[in-house]
Amino acid sequence: MGNKQTIFTPEQLDAYQDCTFFTRKEILRLFYRYRDLAPQLVPLDYTDKPEVTLPYELIGSMPELKDNPFRQRIAEVFSQDGDGNMTLDDFLDMFSVLSEMAPRDLKAYYAFKIYDFNNDDYICKSDLEKTVNKLTRNELTPEEVSLVCEKVIYEADADNDGKLSLEDFQHMIVRAPDFL
Amino acid sequence: YLIFHGFYAEEKLIENLASMSTSERIKEIQKMPETMKIKREIRNKVLKEIRKQSRHHRAQLSCCTQCLQGTAVSFRRFRNSLSEYFDLLQFWHKTLKIIGAEFGTSVLSYFIFLKWLLNFNIFSFLVNFSFITIPQFLAAEPNNLSFTGLELFTGAGYFQQTVLYYGFYTNATISKIKNGPSYNMQLAYIFTVGIYFVICFLILVFSMAKSFCRNFLNTQTYTGNASKLLCTWDFNITNQKAVKLKQKNLGTQIKEDLIEVNREVLNFSVTERVVHIVIHLVSWLASLGTAVAACAAVYFLSVNNLKLFVKGHKNDLENQAAMLVLPIVTSLLNAFIPFFYSWLGRMERLQTPGHQIYVTITRNIILKISIVGILCYYWLDIVAASESQCWETLVGQDIYRLVLVDFIFCLLGSLFGEFLRRIIGTTVCVNLGLPEFDIGRNVLDLIYAQTLTWIGILFSPVLPGIQTISFSIVLFVKKVSLMTNCQPPRKVWRTAQMTTSFIFLLFFPSFLGVLCVIGVTVWRLKPSEKCGPFRGLSSMYAAVSEWIKILENYTASKWVVWIYYNLIKSELFFFILSAVVLIVSYLYWQIIEGRRTMTKLLQKQIIH
Repeated sequence: MGNKQTIFTPEQLDAYQDCTFFTRKEILRLFYRYRDLAPQLVPLDYTDKPEVTLPYELIGSMPELKDNPFRQRIAEVFSQDGDGNMTLDDFLDMFSVLSEMAPRDLKAYYAFKIYDFNNDDYICKSDLEKTVNKLTRNELTPEEVSLVCEKVIYEADADNDGKLSLEDFQHMIVRAPDFL
Repeated sequence: YLIFHGFYAEEKLIENLASMSTSERIKEIQKMPETMKIKREIRNKVLKEIRKQSRHHRAQLSCCTQCLQGTAVSFRRFRNSLSEYFDLLQFWHKTLKIIGAEFGTSVLSYFIFLKWLLNFNIFSFLVNFSFITIPQFLAAEPNNLSFTGLELFTGAGYFQQTVLYYGFYTNATISKIKNGPSYNMQLAYIFTVGIYFVICFLILVFSMAKSFCRNFLNTQTYTGNASKLLCTWDFNITNQKAVKLKQKNLGTQIKEDLIEVNREVLNFSVTERVVHIVIHLVSWLASLGTAVAACAAVYFLSVNNLKLFVKGHKNDLENQAAMLVLPIVTSLLNAFIPFFYSWLGRMERLQTPGHQIYVTITRNIILKISIVGILCYYWLDIVAASESQCWETLVGQDIYRLVLVDFIFCLLGSLFGEFLRRIIGTTVCVNLGLPEFDIGRNVLDLIYAQTLTWIGILFSPVLPGIQTISFSIVLFVKKVSLMTNCQPPRKVWRTAQMTTSFIFLLFFPSFLGVLCVIGVTVWRLKPSEKCGPFRGLSSMYAAVSEWIKILENYTASKWVVWIYYNLIKSELFFFILSAVVLIVSYLYWQIIEGRRTMTKLLQKQIIH
């Protein structure tokens, strides 16, 4: 590949390599994916660190995220302003955590934030109900949804406060080998 | 995370990171759950800190250390760029990603298993080819037989005098240059095969242990609804139809769980229970009976096969075609009896569908193992004692034909099982729908093929190469068939546990069985008089004992002789070794039990 790219300074690329799980080639490829979403907004020269933010609608239309029921929450969790509008840094961060090279506890941390709809650092019953509805696309009746949420909290809540904290969630994820 | 802990914690963190080695530091920074901006700031601060520290210590750093650091940095850069190029070799990476995206991880696990077996075969082919076949090329005898196209199917005729079979290998010590280094073919053959099996054993044991550790040991506490809800969403899926299907499945599964909870206690009456037990017994008897009948058919056919070899004219076209009957009948039995077993499973109507799948897979395994077992008995007991000129080559030919016909049936199975079924399901009989990819059957087919290859390595060293080609073609055909014909699976498979079971099945009946067969062949059977690297010896292992006797005369290699007599030949050593292994396992088990009790106590304390 060589050092022929002019988008980033070598220090910037080094910093990206150290902070994400990607190699140089992958970082450049992701940059081009980011740029393809809105070529007129994203400059080809990032050496002076421009402040460019892409709106959520563009991010949500990416083929990897378009059919994911949690795409809005994912974008909100990883964006700086909490609204789903992402800079290149947020974009790289998001794909770094979602990639297969990220360790499970890192993914578990972010999964917790994704499932925590009201951002209060606890997954309470209403958060779980929203999760179940998104996962099953309104196939279950509200009573069934409520029953499922109660069972989940009963099973996973270790300190018995009626909601799941980060530790409860991580404890459960680490023991479930199917978590992806 | 950081905002809560304040400035002081950040200082401590930077100090910690500065004191680690570079690769550890990078890993730590990558693992931090912070935004990129904060991570970059921390990284810059850490680098500044390191520079400050190194300036501090620069007077104490000698030239050597600086050189070393410089080389370490450039080596890491080189390794990064090399890994980028290695990715080009992973040309199946993109295909696997697409399969995972459209069909989910359970179907993907079959393809990953196939790729793993393919790598295994490539490794064994390279080992055998470089140590056994290439030296044989240097000492090859001319081949007088003519080549007709039929040899590709029967493996006989022209191929008998090539490196394909054991019989062609010389028993001499090959040396091209006078008084130059010589290459003892006998020792090379037995040591290559032996060391290859030891390496396989270690690889399998380590993969199994790793898989088991990750997927089985900790799941006993949380297999309930919580993990089903929050952990089974497969974030790999990106296809809209697959997503909708997965959502519907999850909904259905949750509904079923809720219904199950409401009717947990079901009292069967006594007559119903007796009827259930009788039905179970009858179906088990039927399945075992079918397996025994299949074995008898295979045995009868194979004895007939041997008569053809010994009595008939070898190059007769009819005879050669008749040799194919045994493999074709074996593959037909392997292909159609599983359908009978699935039908039996449906008739039984066991309690849970998961139970039914396990029972069917167990019956299939019993069938395949018994067929392989009966073939091994036939080869080792009857062919080895027959009056043929070169029994190892006969066995090699049999295995070659079996592998080839199994490969053809695998392709045909894809064609009929998936392609035709799709056409029937979409045009003629629309409520059948698209077929699903049958993971269990396909994996068992792979394990069967790999077992045959392992048995065949001793008799036909080039067989892993042939199996590599066949696995690559199967991978391609299965992938194309999957994409065009199948729909994503409706049942929710527990993928991680499945992967562990695949490797376990590969190890326990398959690999250990092969080790027994190879053991019997090497230690007990008399090699043929007129062909192969071990001609004239009383057993294949006698080559090693004779070599040790020769070594006794050299003082420089007395330690090898000592190891041989006191460690490998003595029973006391193995007894002590097994006792030590058992004691260590018992100790570990007790430690785990103790830790589990501790965890339960601590959990109780948290609740109160």
